[in-house]
Amino acid sequence: MGYGPTGRPGGSRPVSGRLVLYWLALYRRRRMLLALTIGMVAFETLIIVIARTIPPQDLFLGSVRQPPSAFRAFSGSGGEVSLASYPGLLGAGLVHPFWIAMQLTVVGSLGAAAVAADVEAGTIELLMVRPISRARLLTERTAALVTGSVLVTAAASAAIAVGVEITPRLREAVPLRGVAAAGVLGLGLALCIAGPVLAVSAAGRHRGQVIGATIMLGAVGFAVNFIAEAWSTVSVLRFVSPFHYYRPADALVSGSIPVGSLALLLGVGLAGVAAAAWLLARRDLAP
Amino acid sequence: MVAVIELTALTKRYGATVGIEQLDLEVEAGEVFGFLGPNGAGKTTTIRCMVGLLSPTAGTARVLGLDPIADHARLTPEIGYLPGELRLYGELTGAQHLALLGDLQGRPTPRRDELCERLELTGRDLGRLVRHYSHGMKQKLGLVQALQHDPEVVILDEPTEGLDPLVQETFFALVREASEAGRTVFLSSHVLAEVQRACGRVAIVRAGRLVTVEAVAALREARARRVRLTFPDGSDHAAVPVEARWSPTWSGDELRLLIHPDEIVPALRRLLQLPATDVAVEEAGLDEAFLAFYRQAEPDAKARPAKAPAWGTDPPADQAEAGP
Repeated sequence: MGYGPTGRPGGSRPVSGRLVLYWLALYRRRRMLLALTIGMVAFETLIIVIARTIPPQDLFLGSVRQPPSAFRAFSGSGGEVSLASYPGLLGAGLVHPFWIAMQLTVVGSLGAAAVAADVEAGTIELLMVRPISRARLLTERTAALVTGSVLVTAAASAAIAVGVEITPRLREAVPLRGVAAAGVLGLGLALCIAGPVLAVSAAGRHRGQVIGATIMLGAVGFAVNFIAEAWSTVSVLRFVSPFHYYRPADALVSGSIPVGSLALLLGVGLAGVAAAAWLLARRDLAP
Repeated sequence: MVAVIELTALTKRYGATVGIEQLDLEVEAGEVFGFLGPNGAGKTTTIRCMVGLLSPTAGTARVLGLDPIADHARLTPEIGYLPGELRLYGELTGAQHLALLGDLQGRPTPRRDELCERLELTGRDLGRLVRHYSHGMKQKLGLVQALQHDPEVVILDEPTEGLDPLVQETFFALVREASEAGRTVFLSSHVLAEVQRACGRVAIVRAGRLVTVEAVAALREARARRVRLTFPDGSDHAAVPVEARWSPTWSGDELRLLIHPDEIVPALRRLLQLPATDVAVEEAGLDEAFLAFYRQAEPDAKARPAKAPAWGTDPPADQAEAGP
């Protein structure tokens, strides 16, 4: 951000700060974002390395028996792509609990930073006695969250893209367009969860409430999808889980973004942001 | 004169808990106005309504003729505010804070350097992370951020908390200068001497209600007199006829009384009939004066415990200032 520790108060320099709240949120969490970005690259690189070590004939052996339907929850496919394939393996890396945990960390941390963390810390009092509308606060903080999610998702996609590009048999199975499509879909999932999380932050007083909501949405969402895939009696429940609409393995193979699923994920996210704006406009902002 | 701050029947409740109730107040342009009350009286709640952090449950608050919530964008550039419990971002330096908050204020900050110098915030201090600041240094930084843009209305919640006596002197000089420059200063405190020193008028609040608004000079005049009578060794204390309303306390053979100024002459005539060996009469301290004022002002004073709440100490749980 544009405020280096100069040791000088800065005098009466012209007002020049733009998107101050946006930069403040990112600046305060820059180390966490850097760690998550590196972690994401390392994890997806590991997935690539694992995929590279499996010869194609072993994959085909593994696909002789169809895995249980619940495994779709882990393969990132609606059933069209087997876990025992290169796209399936890479897709599994994009629905792995580690990938989910890192995405949720970004959403939870920057979601809490939107409003609730400042309320809890008492710093909201310094910010909101200045000519900052509540809409501006939410807009800049939402933008910070989106930036964080884009960064982490892009890191994962870049790692996979490099792996695919340098491994001929992966390149044959997965088009680079598919990697990009899966990345966009991953971002859609993160933003789908971010919307309701922002609403909790806008109404909440403690960052713990926001982190809790993030974990609940992520973990419960994944669990519901898993149970719905495993147990036909409640299969209808899969439609309420965001993970049902997040099928990176299918995107990796097809090379195209499932527009309907992406629209639904983003729609939920936008509805959450709208709810956050409504709640924030009506609440008291004091520690 | 123009009212810069107008509170009309201002009420803020948090569920069943009353923050402030039916508060009416007017502060005129150029005034240094004290807002006095024990901890938990509703001072901070009132101020937060004035700066648009809290929306009133009933009544209205207007500052510079504007509604603090509806006209937030127009009003806040004209306000300088120091919160009662100043919280800063520990991972930013002092300089970063001043730049950040100045940018958010949306106005130039012509007084920043001067204020830093006068409040003894050196370049080295400003280059340090705020998490390493002492309470006093944070408070100094809070004062700079509140005043650096030379605001029309300055609202300070417990501003001298943590400041050393020398810096307090500077602070009072800044308040005086602001008033002379036509700025309006609203200063909340539970430190009576502070209000007496800085303010022309003072509002006293207790348990969310306005007790009185008076000129500081008038309150000073209403101050009780402390009378000390020394009796010979071995006097029978019980035999000394004094009124309970004079709050009699014994220290050895010395009897101490607090007597309202209207009553002091007849009381002294009576007391001088007693076999005292020495008599001393002096103005009571401000604390005692304000407590006496409370007792007079409250119609149900007799129903309350004789001991008034301690100024500057934590309030009982049932009087604690409620959060939203």
